Amino acid sequence: LPEICFELPCRISKKYEEEIPSLLWGLDPVFSAFARLYIKDIKEMRESKQVPGIFFYNGHPVRQVDVVGIVVQTKERNACYNYGVDDSTGVINCVCWKNPVGTERPLSELSWKLRKKLQEMISQKTKLEIGDVVRVRGHIRTYRQQREIQASAFYKVDDPVCDVQISRMLELPCLYREVYDKPFQVPEGTQRKEISKLNESLDFSNMLCEKVKGFLLQNRIQTFYQQELETIDTLVSLAHQPLPSATCQEVDSKSDPSSKRIHSIFKEAVRMLQEKGVVFHKPSSSKDLYHVTDHDKELLKLTLDCNQAPHEQQLEAGVLPPSVAAFSLVSADAEKGCHFLHVLSCVRQSYHPCLSEAVMHRVLELLESNSDVISTMEGYYTTF
Amino acid sequence: MLPNAAVYYFPWEINSSVAEGEALRTFGRLSCYDLARSKAVLTARHRAAQHQVCVDTSFVEPFQAQLGSLYMVLGEAEHREGEGPVVKARILTCVEGMNLPLLEQAIQEQRKYLQERQQHVETGMS
Repeated sequence: LPEICFELPCRISKKYEEEIPSLLWGLDPVFSAFARLYIKDIKEMRESKQVPGIFFYNGHPVRQVDVVGIVVQTKERNACYNYGVDDSTGVINCVCWKNPVGTERPLSELSWKLRKKLQEMISQKTKLEIGDVVRVRGHIRTYRQQREIQASAFYKVDDPVCDVQISRMLELPCLYREVYDKPFQVPEGTQRKEISKLNESLDFSNMLCEKVKGFLLQNRIQTFYQQELETIDTLVSLAHQPLPSATCQEVDSKSDPSSKRIHSIFKEAVRMLQEKGVVFHKPSSSKDLYHVTDHDKELLKLTLDCNQAPHEQQLEAGVLPPSVAAFSLVSADAEKGCHFLHVLSCVRQSYHPCLSEAVMHRVLELLESNSDVISTMEGYYTTF
Repeated sequence: MLPNAAVYYFPWEINSSVAEGEALRTFGRLSCYDLARSKAVLTARHRAAQHQVCVDTSFVEPFQAQLGSLYMVLGEAEHREGEGPVVKARILTCVEGMNLPLLEQAIQEQRKYLQERQQHVETGMS
């Protein structure tokens, strides 16, 4: 027996320890509804650690409740009535205000006779006695360590043959089975698992992308086809990692779905490298041929040349590399150099009509790290 | 202090096994009312047998006793010497016209659900 006593609270606390983050509460329909719970459950459910006044029934965040029961106790106070309500599973105190907000103003707009009649009706429906059936909607709060319902609406239920009570008794078990007892499923995409999966695949693509970049720079590769990358063992074995079922032997057969997968993984990696400006297409060369920005000999050679010869001459001869050509246009008359966008447009005109900004940035960074150009201010570059 | 929740009992379940002071509610036709002794008797048929529930009405007087009508009683069980259990009524309401079979079904449904849940919790614990 002592064993059971030890286990019980431990397991309960484990089961309920994890609370849905409050950010996601709104995704649970129970949160915005008046939960029709047994009074026993209202009294026993756990209060949120994040937001007091919110309670959890089986993982569902509950903000407001709706109960029907028999009044078994009444206490009149200055501003409110306290009704003890019994639904046969539990008894809870309901705080019901005498002048519910909103009833005062509309009254003044009615004729005296109607006003009197309405007031009579209201007092008839809100003045309850022991034995009356009442319906209460409201928030739950804890007062002097007792849970009670702070009524936002309440009225006496005309239930001479118990129809209302019986139908609720029949309804609640269904409602519990269909809604409250089913755990709240956080919709896909917001689940931590999904997010971490997405991050994982992103991490993987990034990793492959970095490896390919490293490979290209280390081996001083100037141009390549994607298919060529797919023959490099060190890169391919990397692409295999997240799918343990696919073995290296399968790569050889073209018809195998895993080779298709490898192809798309590399395509994604190359696309990312393109975005970063590490590699680019030249319109003059083959469609599938990629150029490595850092190893574009034409660019580097012309850059070195332009340092030795006057710019104008080179411009006329048409041998000046586009990046340097752009600088030479303004370097004579402006101390601050020329803007990145100006350089870009010049290069696009003379060298490659759709060269990406990323490639241009990378070229300038490279030139700057070689001290071929210097950046005078944000976005402006000049040559020596 | 709030009273305990009055659980539904069928009239034929009210016997010596009901705990003293247990809050309960039940129903039956008012077959006799002794004003002088504040004692009423509710009767109900179940499987061809007639069952009686004795009710102490001292807390709910005066009330309009309509013999032969259906009543719902809510109160505490009391065991008195020489008698069967008596329900000391806190609430006694005439519910003539109530759909009795439907109420019985509703009570069964509620019990079934709560039992299932209890079992579920117990098996989850063990």
